[in-house]
Amino acid sequence: MLRVEGLTCRYGKVAAVSELTLEVRQGELVALIGANGAGKTTTLKAISGLVAPVAGRLMFSGRDITGASARHILRLGIAHCPEGRRVFPYMTVLENLQMGSHLRRDRRQVAADMAGLLDRFPILRERRAQTAGTLSGGEQQLLAIARALMSRPKLVMFDEPSLGLAPTIVDRVFDVIKTIQAAGVTVIMVEQNAFAALELSDRAYVIEQGRLTLTGTGRDLLENPRVKAAYLGA
Amino acid sequence: MLGGIYALLGIGLTLIFGIMRVVNFTHGELYSFGAYMMFMFVMLLHLDFFLSLVLATALGVALGAVIEFVLLRRLRGADIDTTMLVMIGAWIAMQNVEQLIWSGVAKSITSPFPSAPLVLGGISVAWSRLFVFAVALLLIAGTYALVDRTRIGRAMRATFQDGDTARLMGVDIDTTYLATFALGSGLAAAAGALLGPVFVVTPGMGDLAALKAFAIVILGGLGSILGATIGGFLLAFIEELGAGYLSSGYRDAMGFALIILVLLMRPTGLISRKDRIG
Repeated sequence: MLRVEGLTCRYGKVAAVSELTLEVRQGELVALIGANGAGKTTTLKAISGLVAPVAGRLMFSGRDITGASARHILRLGIAHCPEGRRVFPYMTVLENLQMGSHLRRDRRQVAADMAGLLDRFPILRERRAQTAGTLSGGEQQLLAIARALMSRPKLVMFDEPSLGLAPTIVDRVFDVIKTIQAAGVTVIMVEQNAFAALELSDRAYVIEQGRLTLTGTGRDLLENPRVKAAYLGA
Repeated sequence: MLGGIYALLGIGLTLIFGIMRVVNFTHGELYSFGAYMMFMFVMLLHLDFFLSLVLATALGVALGAVIEFVLLRRLRGADIDTTMLVMIGAWIAMQNVEQLIWSGVAKSITSPFPSAPLVLGGISVAWSRLFVFAVALLLIAGTYALVDRTRIGRAMRATFQDGDTARLMGVDIDTTYLATFALGSGLAAAAGALLGPVFVVTPGMGDLAALKAFAIVILGGLGSILGATIGGFLLAFIEELGAGYLSSGYRDAMGFALIILVLLMRPTGLISRKDRIG
């Protein structure tokens, strides 16, 4: 469904991602793990069109999306739920959800989707008229996820969805992500919490200093001695 | 009456700064542009006064769009100093072109309102000023509605709050910037077109207006529409008090004294960040 071939991205002279190649198949949940600054976030930004790659090719559903605008890529069906939640702090919960459906014209369906999401996350319904900046971290994360779903994506990318959240909320967030996959949406997840990410994912890629070093099913990587030593603290 | 005009000028400037991070030195020229267009339509082409007002404002919107498209679009991602220098250049160029076309002689515009004032109880108000005030209030209300209730307004606010995330939502940043700059410019031109017939029109009229608009934006807090509205009315009120109780020569100085006070006591402006842009 998504193929990244030889992706290279730079910030100034520093290469953040070097010749990265990976593939995500329809319906999969794929995790990218690696240390801080390994290039995971940059990879997601390149896929969603926020960062222009200097080399390599991005293919989505058979189309070349290398260098396409974020708007175009979203329209093709890739949503990006960014690191740090990034809800619009001075907009209400409802307005944030409306931003998620900014490109959609099917008003009736949008309204139905919004009602569905508010049913699924009753806390968001309760807080619908509050500005998003007044929500707790966990509520903001749920809002960010719901906002990403408002575009009706075929592929959704989560960047550090558990970052800075209380352990009980973290479980909730991972549950939600699993449900999204179960509903037929393909998922890419970048996660610091390597243990949880590997348990949850079908397959995973390990990225170190902008390069791909290991790949395999989540279960295999959990048993891999290198992964254990570097990311699982065992 | 001046409060409404000041608020219009301030809102236009604060929108542009808040959303685009552009310090718009051409703002005062859009104001005098509005006034000169009013002069051209009413006095030279003998068009209807109210139609002229609409046309002058529309041309202000168009001129703003051209400035954004021709100058600012090429400067995306350039640092703020570069953009400022270009805008200062545009300001000087526009003012000189104005002087070339219209000469330095002050022009006056006849207004269709009766010269006898409206007398209510003990207060008398000139009809023309009442009209200016009403239209200014309408435009302010319209701007609020646009920013608060429409899709493009929501895109503007999203861009202001978090540009990258707005792009992830599919917001077209170029269109949003164009709309913002055109709207801000239109408000400045409307202010000039409204006030031109009340006072006289000169090529330098934009300078003081721009200076006051900057003062209002500082007063209200950068990027705050509500702050610019309150700041506009506050500045006009203080100026009147100063002119009335001290000396009318101090009218323009009063406002700036107020700014110095605000900067000393509350450097982020009257309205805190929380309420900005809508």
